[in-house]
Amino acid sequence: MFKAIKPVAQVALLIVGMAMVCFGVMRGEADAVLAKAIRLCLECIGIG
Amino acid sequence: MDKRINTVSHLLARFRGLIQAAATLATNIHLPNFAKGGIYQGAGKAVCVPGLNCYSCPAASGACPIGSFQSVVGSSKFSFSYYVTGTLILIGVLLGRFVCGFLCPFGWLQELLHKIPGKKLSTKKLKPLTYIKYAVLLFAVVLLPVLVVNDVGMGDPFFCKYICPQGVLEGAIPLSIMNTGIRFALGKLFTWKLAILIAVVVLSVLFYRPFCKWICPLGAFYALMNKVSLLGIQVDQCKCVSCGKCAKVCQMDVDVTRTPDHAECIRCGKCVGACPVDAISFRYGLGVTGNSTAQSAQARENK
Amino acid sequence: MKLSKITALLMVPVLALSLAACSAPKSDANNTASGDTQIAELIAQKPSSAEEATELFQQLLQKENEIFASDSALWEKVFLAANKDVPMIEDGKNYGDFLLDTIESAKDQFTADEFKTLKAGAQQVKEIEEKLTALEKEFPGCGSTPGEGESVDASTAGMTNGKSEAAKFPSFKGKDLDGNDVNSDELFSKNKVTVMNFWFTTCKPCVGELGDLEELNKELVAKSGQVVGVNSFTLDGNKDEVADAKDVLSKKGVTYKNIWFKSDSEAGKFTSNLYSFPTTYVIDQNGNIVGEPIMGGINSAEQREALNKLIDQALA
Repeated sequence: MFKAIKPVAQVALLIVGMAMVCFGVMRGEADAVLAKAIRLCLECIGIG
Repeated sequence: MDKRINTVSHLLARFRGLIQAAATLATNIHLPNFAKGGIYQGAGKAVCVPGLNCYSCPAASGACPIGSFQSVVGSSKFSFSYYVTGTLILIGVLLGRFVCGFLCPFGWLQELLHKIPGKKLSTKKLKPLTYIKYAVLLFAVVLLPVLVVNDVGMGDPFFCKYICPQGVLEGAIPLSIMNTGIRFALGKLFTWKLAILIAVVVLSVLFYRPFCKWICPLGAFYALMNKVSLLGIQVDQCKCVSCGKCAKVCQMDVDVTRTPDHAECIRCGKCVGACPVDAISFRYGLGVTGNSTAQSAQARENK
Repeated sequence: MKLSKITALLMVPVLALSLAACSAPKSDANNTASGDTQIAELIAQKPSSAEEATELFQQLLQKENEIFASDSALWEKVFLAANKDVPMIEDGKNYGDFLLDTIESAKDQFTADEFKTLKAGAQQVKEIEEKLTALEKEFPGCGSTPGEGESVDASTAGMTNGKSEAAKFPSFKGKDLDGNDVNSDELFSKNKVTVMNFWFTTCKPCVGELGDLEELNKELVAKSGQVVGVNSFTLDGNKDEVADAKDVLSKKGVTYKNIWFKSDSEAGKFTSNLYSFPTTYVIDQNGNIVGEPIMGGINSAEQREALNKLIDQALA
């Protein structure tokens, strides 16, 4: 039973993962990540 | 065939330290920035690295997935990050907590600290603490940055701001050494986070990977994905002599013969090396189940 | 750049060693002599690029601080004796000349030996300053490395007096967010002090301090000063970004001027090179950057105090 579910779940998650990445990039999340990551994160280093 | 796979498994386990060092270097490749006191600002920063690796580290070549998630959901435009979650699901399905054992710089640091000789304490009795990290993931990373917002709709990256010791280690310390402006700006928050870092360092000497076990939200996510990860550890029940050496050698308190896909297993491969009959090996592929009990037992009976 | 940092770092122990040697009484003849020749060598150098100039500039500054640090107690007396009514650095007046004058006027406070040491030191400072001025003329901006422009030596040598070899803020022609033209020369010269705040729309600490900056602007207007915001997302006047920025500004009740300029202009490059936001620069009437920029929000008491100090320095 479980054995049959596992590969299906794996393939499904891979597809979902890729779809989410594409969707995220399309709505500009990658730019948001870049904008945050190329500037010093004051909160991270304990200033903000 | 088993023989060959075993060799690969053994090699992986044996050269783990080297792989960890290489992964840390690869995700922190811009070393000259340590001397310059700046950070890398190229396009690579749009991509998340697998491990916990602060993007405010001068040398960092990519973005920290946990930091990225919080910054996206904390911005007024978005309340969930498909991009980062998708990336984490992909890494999770492809590797699971193998990332913790082989690729995460902060995991490596804790391991190196644990090599410092001295009294070592077992974490077996502290098992309930392992659930803290799920709470950290849920609240500090996912919920609070979305729910607690200012008048413009922006939330704080709670984990980065109040918990993460990696930001102090990789970001604040090297940058404040080279930059007077940053040094001057460090305040109470820095003191608090430095205290956390020192606590984690001290605990790492006493316990094995305390941060990974109890606090790390990234570890928590990969722990959930461990169950469905393509990379797994397989125990051949045919060969297994139930000596219990694998469970004894495991520093993450996992009995690999019973629960090979346990959420706490960081795939370090210590059990692979410890098994006297080579019954344990890394496996990679779709539908790999942790133990081959049923098949092997049947096979044995049929003989 | 990297090399210069490493050299700077290497020079710290060298400096410390030479200082230790210098403070030993009557045994410093050799060291001072070698220090002299080093300074002479540095002054003789002719840098071919701006980077080399920057490096030389820093080295010379270090030498100068070395001179002060080698007899800090003695120099302290000189600074105390300095005529407080005369501004320390007048336009075009050499800092070494100023020191020489001060030493001369306070002659009776020193022994003959001390006087000789001070005179020699001030003479060297004068030569260094002349070279610095020449460098600054030939390679404008070499005296400052914005964003990372700390000189390790200045703080370690404990020099508190304003050795402010002024660095110009890159001039620009831009627009405010309502589309009106802004010219840096006009902007700076009409204000006694201009506080330039660099921020971006999705930066929470930046947005968090906008209210405080608005307050500050109101205070400064009374002193004929002004706060000016630069949102790094709005460079080149991207319409969406300008709209987003204006939205945040209006929500925070900001009325002070926010501006943008072309990202390939000098000021644009200056902004792109900043990696820490918010960063706040204080600029005097002549368009010079005063002191070190404030990194991080100005809403903590310490940071606000540091900013006020810079503002007072610009107004003085």
